[in-house]
Amino acid sequence: MYFCANMKRYVITWIVCIFLFAIQGKAEAYKVDDIVMVHLQDKTRYVCNPDHILSPATVTQINSILYTLEQQTGIETLVVVVKEIEGGDCFNFAYELGKQNGVGKKSSNNGLVILLSTQDRCIQFVTGYGLEGILPDAICKRIQNQKMNNYFAKNEWDAGMISGIRAINGYLDGSMEPEERENNESGELYIFGFIFLFMLLIFTLSYNIQRKKTLCPQCKKHTLHRTDSHLISRRNGIKKERVVYTCSHCGHTEVRDEDSDDHSGGIGWGRRGGPLIFGGGSFGSRGSGGFSGGSFGGGSFGGGGAGSRF
Amino acid sequence: MKNVTKLILMIVCAISLSSCGYNTMVEKDEAVSQAWSNVENQYQRRADLIPNLVNTVKGYAAHEKETLEAVVAARTKATQVTVDAESLTPEKLKAYQEAQGEIGSALGRLLAITENYPDLKANENFKELQAQLEGTENRISVERRNFNEASKDYNTYIRKFPNNIISSLFGFEKRPYFEAESGSEKAPAVEF
Repeated sequence: MYFCANMKRYVITWIVCIFLFAIQGKAEAYKVDDIVMVHLQDKTRYVCNPDHILSPATVTQINSILYTLEQQTGIETLVVVVKEIEGGDCFNFAYELGKQNGVGKKSSNNGLVILLSTQDRCIQFVTGYGLEGILPDAICKRIQNQKMNNYFAKNEWDAGMISGIRAINGYLDGSMEPEERENNESGELYIFGFIFLFMLLIFTLSYNIQRKKTLCPQCKKHTLHRTDSHLISRRNGIKKERVVYTCSHCGHTEVRDEDSDDHSGGIGWGRRGGPLIFGGGSFGSRGSGGFSGGSFGGGSFGGGGAGSRF
Repeated sequence: MKNVTKLILMIVCAISLSSCGYNTMVEKDEAVSQAWSNVENQYQRRADLIPNLVNTVKGYAAHEKETLEAVVAARTKATQVTVDAESLTPEKLKAYQEAQGEIGSALGRLLAITENYPDLKANENFKELQAQLEGTENRISVERRNFNEASKDYNTYIRKFPNNIISSLFGFEKRPYFEAESGSEKAPAVEF
């Protein structure tokens, strides 16, 4: 009986211990899955800064450098800044971050992961297969040694990150061409195809309307021409005119009242055609909204890059 | 008539083979071979760095002869142990791993003594070699992991029913795994 009670107390103590440990572990060290990819919510953001180690100004600056870099070279970057990572193995953590999120384009494997863990005191770059030649390990190491570690040693995280990322950007800028759009975004192609067909449809329709106008009701030939017109009223930019049409084949004349936009000259588009075409055109300028989510292309990593402790 | 029966039999055989996963087995087997050659490439890459590293260190620490020679000897020994992807048995893999492990520990000792030579540590060439060596160690660990994954994928596949019948019929054999940190193989922590 005594043994049983002892056992019970022992078990309870253990459970409490494990529980406390779990809470503490959760609050401190990050797992790879815990890092929320901000890039997926907003394509102009690359910096995961869950512990707010970097200042908002720094984050904005890094984001803008990396966004320009991606626009110019197609290189996809992921920056993660945390207090502590689980296991403390910076290379492994950064590698898994890149691998699990598929940073980099699938065909060129041009992903770059930059991990800073302030309590593990390590900075790690991991380069995708396609970047290993452009950004060799030795260069990664040199950038860390010359541009970052001095700041990090003094806990100046903002200054170190900015100076390092500028150096990387200087190295990568102009190193690659972004891929052609149709390679990775076939969805885009469908949309353009759709717009093209849509516009074709509109043109055919308005052409038919135009053609119908020239049809002579008497001899059924497309020989009706506009010979005279005079303005009846002008209201809200819409002209109402009385137009006289004469058939050059049989000499039949017809008088019609027509509406038209003031700025479209006389014969131009009928009121039906114009606005519709402009409507179609506005599809083309889609994608300019700033807050659409980005994506990572599924690049793979082979363990390139370098890390250092400070 | 006989020809027709033969033809039907052949077609049935072909269909049943592909449906029982013969082709998939071949694919997975090839994936393992591919992963193995990647592993070998990375080990080779490390071996290629050694002469340069040894020469650089020699310039500053010539009297650390023993350590330097140990690295060169381990490298020579390891380059003799090559394993063909087709004849990859657990014993051969173990021998390979041990030989490479020796290079690893010899390199670890070499890098440990370089701590005593500040001039060497400040040498640009040496710094770059160190970075390359470190990168290669990372690549080796990645490729070893990939190999184990490919191996596991293949092994699981050939042992499943009814694939096991086909695999034993055509001699698909289980592939070995790299074992993590067994005894002397414990990869040295290459940290600078």
